Amino acid sequence: MKRAATALFFIAPCLVLAVPSARAESSSRAKARAQVQIPAAEQRPAANRRAGQREVRDGEAEARLIEVYRLIGQANGREALRKAESLVTDHPNFQLAQLVYGDLLVGQTRPVRTLGDVPDTTAKAAAPQLAELRQESQLRLLALRERPPAGTVPSQFLALSPRNRHAIAVDTSRSRLYLFENTTAGLKLLADYYISVGKSGIEKSAEGDLRTPLGVYFITSNLNPRSLKDFYGSGALPINYPNQLDMKRGKTGRGIWLHGTPSAQFSRAPLATDGCVALANPDLERIIKTVEIRSTPVVIAQSLKWVAPQSLKADIKSFDDVLQGWHSAKSSGDAARLSAWYAADFTSYGGKTLTEWTPALQTELKQLGGRNIEMKDVSYLRWTDSHDTMVVTFGELVKGAKTGRNKRQYWSRQGSQWKIFFEGVV
Amino acid sequence: MPTPAFSSRKPLSAALRMLFLAATLSVSAAHADDYADVSRLMRASQYAEALAKADQYLASKPRDPQMRFMKGVIQTETGKANEAIATFTQITQDYPELPEPYNNMAVLYAGQSQFDKARAALEMAIRTNPSYATAHENLGDVYARLASQAYGKALQLDGSNAGVQPKLALIRTLFSADTKAPPKPAAVPAPAPAPAPAAAKPTPAVEAAPAAASPAPAAAKPAPAASPVTGNGTEKQVEAAVRAWADAWAAKDMNAYLGSYGQSFEPPGKQARKGWEEDRRARIVGKSRISVKLSNLAIGVQDSKATAKFKQDYSADSLNISSRKTLDLARVGERWVIVREYTGS
Repeated sequence: MKRAATALFFIAPCLVLAVPSARAESSSRAKARAQVQIPAAEQRPAANRRAGQREVRDGEAEARLIEVYRLIGQANGREALRKAESLVTDHPNFQLAQLVYGDLLVGQTRPVRTLGDVPDTTAKAAAPQLAELRQESQLRLLALRERPPAGTVPSQFLALSPRNRHAIAVDTSRSRLYLFENTTAGLKLLADYYISVGKSGIEKSAEGDLRTPLGVYFITSNLNPRSLKDFYGSGALPINYPNQLDMKRGKTGRGIWLHGTPSAQFSRAPLATDGCVALANPDLERIIKTVEIRSTPVVIAQSLKWVAPQSLKADIKSFDDVLQGWHSAKSSGDAARLSAWYAADFTSYGGKTLTEWTPALQTELKQLGGRNIEMKDVSYLRWTDSHDTMVVTFGELVKGAKTGRNKRQYWSRQGSQWKIFFEGVV
Repeated sequence: MPTPAFSSRKPLSAALRMLFLAATLSVSAAHADDYADVSRLMRASQYAEALAKADQYLASKPRDPQMRFMKGVIQTETGKANEAIATFTQITQDYPELPEPYNNMAVLYAGQSQFDKARAALEMAIRTNPSYATAHENLGDVYARLASQAYGKALQLDGSNAGVQPKLALIRTLFSADTKAPPKPAAVPAPAPAPAPAAAKPTPAVEAAPAAASPAPAAAKPAPAASPVTGNGTEKQVEAAVRAWADAWAAKDMNAYLGSYGQSFEPPGKQARKGWEEDRRARIVGKSRISVKLSNLAIGVQDSKATAKFKQDYSADSLNISSRKTLDLARVGERWVIVREYTGS
């Protein structure tokens, strides 16, 4: 039946109908909208657009995505498609949502085999992006499936003071950031968000290694979003990497921020940054609105250990005793007794060694003249890796004085002995 | 078949639909000539005259769905997309049971790259008539297009919006045999007697309307009965011809595919042969993968005529459609060629 050699000539994919100019279309859009019966799902986002930039609640987009997943799980593809459509209309830059929406559309004509069931050529051409979106999906689901047990807190927050009104903990294995409020009844989990960390992962040690540091940090400032490139999204909260422990270990690098996402991306791949922690803009905005500069601790751990607050009591008591020992040595005015609390490798600001720093300590003791010092708002942050480190922050008030200074000490444990390897005013 | 997105609403029963058509259309019986005139002018691409004639008719019968539909097609063909959308929209408001105006609205929206609206309109078409094959296929194309857009955005692929436009099938007349609706009530005049398409002398003015992948002629002649078997050998020849047709389609071998159709083949929708061929090319060559599987093949042969009925599982790229298909074939010399193609059993 094949008569001639097959000469497949190219037929321009002509449109059935002439395409009117875009301008003509938009001028008549309002009219067309009034005439055409379009399902409600289509109308809602349009109403939002008309109302201007609706404020997006933090975590809302993820919650809507999970609702779509839930509907897919219930084999309610129609409702899932409707909700996915509305989600991508509101967040066209939410790539994972677009992927799921694409799958749901494909599912209208054939079974979907996997998340991101794109044509083979696309799967080949965009293999890394596809793998990243699948990973993002997995991590979001994991963090939502395996919740921190109710009432538990990350073990690093050994004891927070009333000055630490909020706290942040990042679990990099889950690509998740947890935001806490420190109430009189203890730490309360306010929200948790998907995050991205460094392209090369975690355990930053050197400038340019594209890794996110692990440790206990504090937010140091809030950068004006207008001074930032679009790349950082709706703002940035730098943290104090490298901290005193990092510097003692010779770690380098700087400019580790919690920041937002560029306008083209609602969220980024799990491993995407140069070492910063990146969040969706609505989530970052909530954090910026919530937390305090300088007094908000940020723990970044590979895997957070969630413990009941009561279980920390013994450790708190034990360190209370250590700190009390240092306090009475200082109050005694005995320089020799006090310097026994400092480690041989002690440093202070400007790289001062213990020998260089001791005269300052002696001057301070002289000024005290035997007056007692009061310690207020003491907080303990504990960081345990190959070593056991305690970051202690407190207000130091000389008896009778109206104002005091905020001090921070880094303690290191050698066996059962705790010694100070950094002390400075913050 | 693709799962209709809206399946909750029950389709009009066949009987109801027939009653409805009879009631709305019997009044126009006396005006069969007017339909035929407009239709002839349209075929000759004399759109201005066709429009004038349609408007003249509508002045006295402003609600007549068939003539309004034809007017919408004229507006479509002359590039007045927004006017055409308005015309079809108004028909859907007066006759919400008809799927064809929704289908054509979708074609117009797709032409404007408004795939969300195209989808909504096609879903309405299917809601009004769940077995409406053209709308299903169009919807499949629109879903595929929307999915490709979504994937493009998901993977941030460059130029994801510059892909090939889906080619949607425009319905040129109301109440064609494309749907599984009952045959036209006697009162309804045929749009126009089709001039026998002369494949040897293709019309120079190519009609722009594409065919559905499963084209169906507007007026079905009774097919030769598929009963007496005139011999295994002949049946085998017919089967070979049918299978070669399906293979050529799947292989996107357009010469072999189009060669399966005889010179007396009547393209659906009174289309000119050349226009139909171009539409088939655009629809087939543009697909990256096509599979056509035939099953339950039943062949009836009577003299030099044959009928093949089968289940056709068609899948192209992301689209899967299973349907009943009937091919009428005729023997020309030593070959069996297709002279009619119907969807449905």
